[in-house]
Formats: sequence, structure tokens, C-alpha cells
Amino acid sequence: MSTINVQGKTIALDKDGYLLELDDWSPAVAEALAAREQMVLSASHWEILELLRRFYAEFQLSPATRPLIRYTAQQLGTEKGNSLHLNKLFHGTPAKLAAKLAGLPKPTNCI
Amino acid sequence: MATLHLLSRSPFTDTSGASCLRLLGPGDGLLLTGDAVHALQPESQPFEVLRALPADRPLFALAEDLDARGLSTPDFVKAVDYAGFVELTLRFERTNSWL
Amino acid sequence: MAKSLLLICRRSPWSGPGAREALDIALAGGAFDLPISLLFLDDGVFQLQPRQQPAAIQQKDLTANLQALPLFGVEALYVARTDLDRRGLSAEHLTLPVTPLEDAALAALLNQHDLVITL
Repeated sequence: MSTINVQGKTIALDKDGYLLELDDWSPAVAEALAAREQMVLSASHWEILELLRRFYAEFQLSPATRPLIRYTAQQLGTEKGNSLHLNKLFHGTPAKLAAKLAGLPKPTNCI
Repeated sequence: MATLHLLSRSPFTDTSGASCLRLLGPGDGLLLTGDAVHALQPESQPFEVLRALPADRPLFALAEDLDARGLSTPDFVKAVDYAGFVELTLRFERTNSWL
Repeated sequence: MAKSLLLICRRSPWSGPGAREALDIALAGGAFDLPISLLFLDDGVFQLQPRQQPAAIQQKDLTANLQALPLFGVEALYVARTDLDRRGLSAEHLTLPVTPLEDAALAALLNQHDLVITL
């Protein structure tokens, strides 16, 4: 377990860097988590993170890669809902990394 | 195309046997193991139901589970040992275990 | 060609881990693009009951999770009409778009799949 400090608040992470308390999430926390991955979040990233948070609100689980691609295609069109776009944005592991930055639990059905 | 269904629970306390019969089609087999062999208690309701099954739904029971419970093998059932159990799972295209 | 799987869900939603385990198999298989169908049988049809509030017993929202099945590629969803009728449920008021099947059609459904798992 480790912690990050965001705006004066200490936030607990599990061993893989996911939030222990999903309620701790805020856009600032997402920026801090991204910095740990040597990433700077662009509008294209944010679009997917917001989409993931909607997915979680609706289905109460984190999507694996294929459902994430399907859902993105459904909501944002196939220009963005394809593995190339998502892999490029999230270092080749979109389901895991995007869920982490969006403050979701680690997806269970991912290699 | 046929399925071998495996039952292991007593028909007197569990509904898996009754549900299994609803899914049993022509050519499908039924193997009773464990407490499911209590269905072969003579004069019981499940006994009569199984006896009335069409002949194209072969019935099997594990011999040692029958013996242990003091039950004999009715003429509409074929008793098998564990080697026969394995052979059955190979003879049918798929097996479905009712847990 | 991947083997097709029929999952028979016959556990009520909150009697134990059975309902959750069946869903986990479906989601895991769907995530890997395996052809999976679901049949809700016996008390499994209660999983489709509207207005469940599992938070009352500190459980996760199974209804919400089930809605994800189509996104995981699991779209062949069936229910035994007999079990709905017996339990006073109507196919029009369930939380998933399932196809009701008469008992006479169930054996054929099994035999259309390479593998069957009943939970």
C-alpha cells in the first residue's frame, strides 16, 4: 500500500496504485495519479475518464478492454471507440490504466 | 447431439431432479449419483416418474451409491461403476452437472 | 473456433454466491469473446426481478452488473417461461431483455452448445 498527497489530503492506494476509497476521487486526484504514470492528461484522456465514470455509475463494475471499446464506440463513435485510439492514450492497457485514473476498481477480467 | 445430466441430490429435498427432467430431450441421458439415487426408492413418486420416462432417455445410476443406500437396480436403470461413469461422459457430447 | 457455452443460472440473487459466480463466468468469457448464452431457470429468474435493493443487505448491485452483459458480448439471454409463471413474474417486467422459452425448447437449447454449466 502507498499514499499520494493531493491538495493537502492524504489518499490511500492499493499495491497496484488504485484508490482504496473510490470516494477519494477528484479531477485533481486523477492528475496526481497520471503524474505517477508519467502522463499529462489531455482532453482526449478526460473524455475517456468521464466515460468510464459513467460506465461505472451505470453498471457498478469496471469494464475489461473489449467492453470498454464497445461502450466508447457506442457513446463517442468508432473514431474513438477502437483499440488503436484507446491503446495510444493509455499506454497499451486502456482498461487497467484508465480505470485507475478514473478512480474505478481494478477490472477483474483483464490479462 | 445429446447431453448427459449428472444428478447428485435427493429428489425429496432438492428441485434439481425435477428441473433436469424438464431439460431432458430425446437421446439425453441421466446419471444418478450420491443422494440422487434415492429417486430409485420403489413405490416413491420420483421412482414412478423415472419409470415412465420414454425409452430414448437412458437412465444410469452409480452402483456403489445404490449399494450403500440399500437400493437395488430397477429394470429401467443401468447400474455403472466409476469406469462406466467415465465411459458415459465420453459417449455423450456434453455433460451437465446439477450442483 | 471457440467452444460455445450455455450457462444455466438457477440460483436466487441473494441466497449465496451462486448468482454472482455465474455472472462472473459470463463476464470473464465475454471479455475474451467466447460465445456464451445464459438461461435463467428455477429461482434464477428472481435475479431479473425489478426494484431489488441489495444495499439493504450490504450487497453489490446485481441488476446493474447484469445490464453490462451485452457490452461484454453476451447477448443470447433466455428464461424458462414456466418458472416465470410459477413465480408470478411477467416476461415484460424483467430487468434484462430475455427471450422466454417453453420447456419443450430447453433440451434443444442445451444441445446447440458445446458446453453447459449449471450453477
